Amino acid sequence: MPASFDAREFLAGFLVEAAEHLVSANQNLLAVEAMLQKGQPHPRAVRDLYRSLHTIKGLASMVGIEPIVDISHAMEAVLRAADRGGGRLAPGMVDVLLKGTRAIEEAVGALEHGRPLAPAPATLLDALALLPAQAPQAAPSSEETFTLDPALRSKLGLADKEQITQGLLAGRHVWRADFVPSPQRAAEGITITTVREAVGRIAEIVKVIPIQRQSAPGIAFALLVVTDADVMAIAQAVHADAEQVVPVVQTAPPPGPEPLGAAEVERVGTIRVEVTRLDDALDKLSALVVTRYRLERATADLAARGADVRALAFVVQENGRQLRHLRAAITRARMISVADMLQRVPLLVRGLAQQTHKQVTLDLQVGRAELDKGVADRIFPAVVHLLRNAVDHALESAAERTAAGKPEAGVLRVSAHEHGTSQLELRVTDDGRGIDRDKVATRAGRPVPHSDEALLELICLPGLSTMDTTTTTSGRGMGMDIIRRITVDQLGGELSVKSVAGAGTTFTLRVPLTVTIIDAFLFMSGNQRFAVPVASVEEIVDLEGARIASWPRPGSSTGVQTRILDRGGTAVPLLALQSVFRLPPDGAGRRAILVRRNGELIAYEVDRMLGQQEVVVRPLEDPLVRRAGLSGATDIGDGKPTLVVDLIGLGGSLLEAEA
Amino acid sequence: MTEILVVDDSKVMREMVVACLRALPSSEFAHAGSGLEAIEKLSLKRCDLVVLDLNMPDIGGIEVVEFIRGQDTLKDLPILVVTTRGDDTSRALALGAGASRFMTKPFTPEGLLVEVRALLDLPGL
Repeated sequence: MPASFDAREFLAGFLVEAAEHLVSANQNLLAVEAMLQKGQPHPRAVRDLYRSLHTIKGLASMVGIEPIVDISHAMEAVLRAADRGGGRLAPGMVDVLLKGTRAIEEAVGALEHGRPLAPAPATLLDALALLPAQAPQAAPSSEETFTLDPALRSKLGLADKEQITQGLLAGRHVWRADFVPSPQRAAEGITITTVREAVGRIAEIVKVIPIQRQSAPGIAFALLVVTDADVMAIAQAVHADAEQVVPVVQTAPPPGPEPLGAAEVERVGTIRVEVTRLDDALDKLSALVVTRYRLERATADLAARGADVRALAFVVQENGRQLRHLRAAITRARMISVADMLQRVPLLVRGLAQQTHKQVTLDLQVGRAELDKGVADRIFPAVVHLLRNAVDHALESAAERTAAGKPEAGVLRVSAHEHGTSQLELRVTDDGRGIDRDKVATRAGRPVPHSDEALLELICLPGLSTMDTTTTTSGRGMGMDIIRRITVDQLGGELSVKSVAGAGTTFTLRVPLTVTIIDAFLFMSGNQRFAVPVASVEEIVDLEGARIASWPRPGSSTGVQTRILDRGGTAVPLLALQSVFRLPPDGAGRRAILVRRNGELIAYEVDRMLGQQEVVVRPLEDPLVRRAGLSGATDIGDGKPTLVVDLIGLGGSLLEAEA
Repeated sequence: MTEILVVDDSKVMREMVVACLRALPSSEFAHAGSGLEAIEKLSLKRCDLVVLDLNMPDIGGIEVVEFIRGQDTLKDLPILVVTTRGDDTSRALALGAGASRFMTKPFTPEGLLVEVRALLDLPGL
C-alpha cells in the first residue's frame, strides 16, 4: 500500500476550518443565549452548533488530535440531545459549552504555534458530562397553517415550519421558487450553489428541496424563502419566470409566540489563503522594489555619463507603475474586514461582564472597512484592553448606576469605521463614571489635568493604574502606555480620550489601514543614512538664517546645550539627531525635520536631506537592535540597511529625559 | 475512467478522501461542498461512485441518499457513506435509506481503499 496519506499534511487546513467552526459556534451560542433571555428556543442555532462540533470532531479524529476529539465529542453529545429534543438548551448549558469552545480554541492556538498540547481538561469533560442528557422539551409545534405541496411539507423540520409560520405572521412574503439546473447553465457558471448565494442575499432561505420535475425529465430544486423582496427579484435570482414563483400563504388564524429571528449567513465567493503565503509574496515584492531602485540608479548613472536613456527611463517608469499596482493587489489580498477582526468582541464583553457581575449592553457598530492583517493583529489587543478597562473600572455596579439615575445595564459601544481613505477609526465608548482626574493626578504625583489631552498624557504614564488593587480582568494585560505605543508609535496613528465625570469615557484610535510600504524621506546624520516616514513629518526647514536660542543645560558638565528654534513665534525644541544616537558630529547640521507629537512640534537637526522614496519597512525583531525611536530597517538599493527612525516616538523619550 | 464524487462541506476532509484514493487506477475526482451541489452534479454528469459525508448544512447526507435512490438513473449508484464514530443512529438511517456501505472516521487510506474497491468491483491488492 503506498503511503499516500500523511495526516500532518492536512493539519494547517484543519486548523483553519476548526477556527471557522469555532467562530460560528460562539456566535450561535450567544444567539441561543439571547433567545433564551426572551424565553424562546433557537432550534436553528442549536442544529448549526451540533453540526460545527460534529465536523470539528470528525476532522480532529482524522488528523489525530485527541484532546480536541475528546472535548468536541462531549459537547456534541450534549448538543445532539438538545437538537433531538426540539432545539432547547437550558441557561446554564451555554456557559459550559462556551468553556468547551474556549478549550478547543486554546488547543487550536497551541497547534498553530507548535506548542505541546495538553490533554482535554478533566473538569471540563466532567462538567459537560453532568449537563442534562435530555434537554427540556420544546413547546408542542404550532399548527401548520400554510399552503404547501405535501411532498415538500414532509421534508420540512420543526424549525423550518416555525420559520415559515413566523415569516407569514410578521407580514413577510414566503415564496416557493424552483431552480432547474442544466449542463448549459452549469457551463455559464449558474449552479444551485450560485443561485443559493444570490437568493441568500435578498431572502432568508428556509430550505432547499431537490425534486423530480413533473413537466419534463430531470430534476429541480425548490427553494422556500422568507423575504421582503418582491416576486421579480426572487424569480431573477433563481433564473425562472415570475409566474413560476408560487406564494406560500396562511390558511388559518395564527397561534401565538413572538417571531423567531433566524439570520442566514451570507456566503460570498472566497478562498482561504494562509497569511504566510501572502507574506511570502510581499517579501518577494519587496525584493522587486529594491531591484527597481537599483535599476533607477543605474539609469541615472548612465545619464550622468552622457548616455541617451530616454527609452530606458520610460521602461523604468512603466515598471514602477506596474510594481505599485502589484503592491496594491497583494495588499488588498492581505486585508481582513473589521467585522472579522472584532468578531470576538461580543464573547469577550460577555465574559468580562460575568466576571465582574455587571450588566453590560454591547453596541457594536462596524462598517465595511478592511485593514491589513498586520495592523489588525497589532491593534486588536489594544481594543481588548480598552474593553477590559471599561467593564472593570468605568462601568459602575447596577446599584451604583441606579443610585446615579442611570439604567442598570451599562452601555459599551464599539465602533469601527473608515476615516478618510487610509485610516481606520476605532472608538470605545462607555456610559460609566468617567475617569477620576483627581485620583489619577494623585497617583501620578502630577497636577490635576484640566484638558482631555493632559489627561491622556497622565493615564499613558508607564505603570499607572487607577485601581488600588488589580482585578481579575484588568490585572494582567497591557497599560494605556502600551496602547499608545501601539497606536501612535508603532502604527503612526493617533490616540485621544474624552472623559466626562459621571457620564462616561470615549477612547478614539485612528490607525492606518496598511503599513507595509511607506513613503520616506532619506537623510544623513552623523555620516549615517536614515529614513523617516513622510507621513510623520510636519515640515522640513532650512536652519540657515533661522532664529535659534541656546543655553547650556543646567547641571550638564559636558557642554550639552538646550536649543529652541523659533518658528513664526512658536518655540520648538531643537534636538541634534546624531547626538541622540551617539554618532560623531560632522558639523553640517543645516536642516531640521519637524514632527508633531501630541500637538507639539519637535525639530531634529540633521546634516542633509537625500530625497524622498518608497521604502519597505521591515520591523526590527531582534531585541538587541530594537530600541525606542527606531521603527524598522529598509534596504534602498545599495545593499546597506537604512534605519527607519520614529521621530515622534523618539521625541517622547527625549523630552521626558530632559524634563 | 472511474468518476468519483466526493461530497463533504469540509474542504480538508474532501482533500483527505482524495489523498486516500490516489492509489486507484485511472480515477477522476469531482468535489461537492454541499448535498445540493452533489445532487446537481449527479443529475448533470456520469458518476461511478459517491463518497458522502452525512453531516452537512442545507440537506444532510441521508436526504441525499434518499433522493438518489428515488431517481431511476441513479438507483444503482454505489454510495459510500462516511460517518463519525458514535453516530450509530445516522449510520443506520443512511443504510436504511439505501447507502451501499459505510466507513467510520477516523479511517485509514487502506480501509477506505478496501471499501471503494469492493464497491467498484475492482480486484484487491
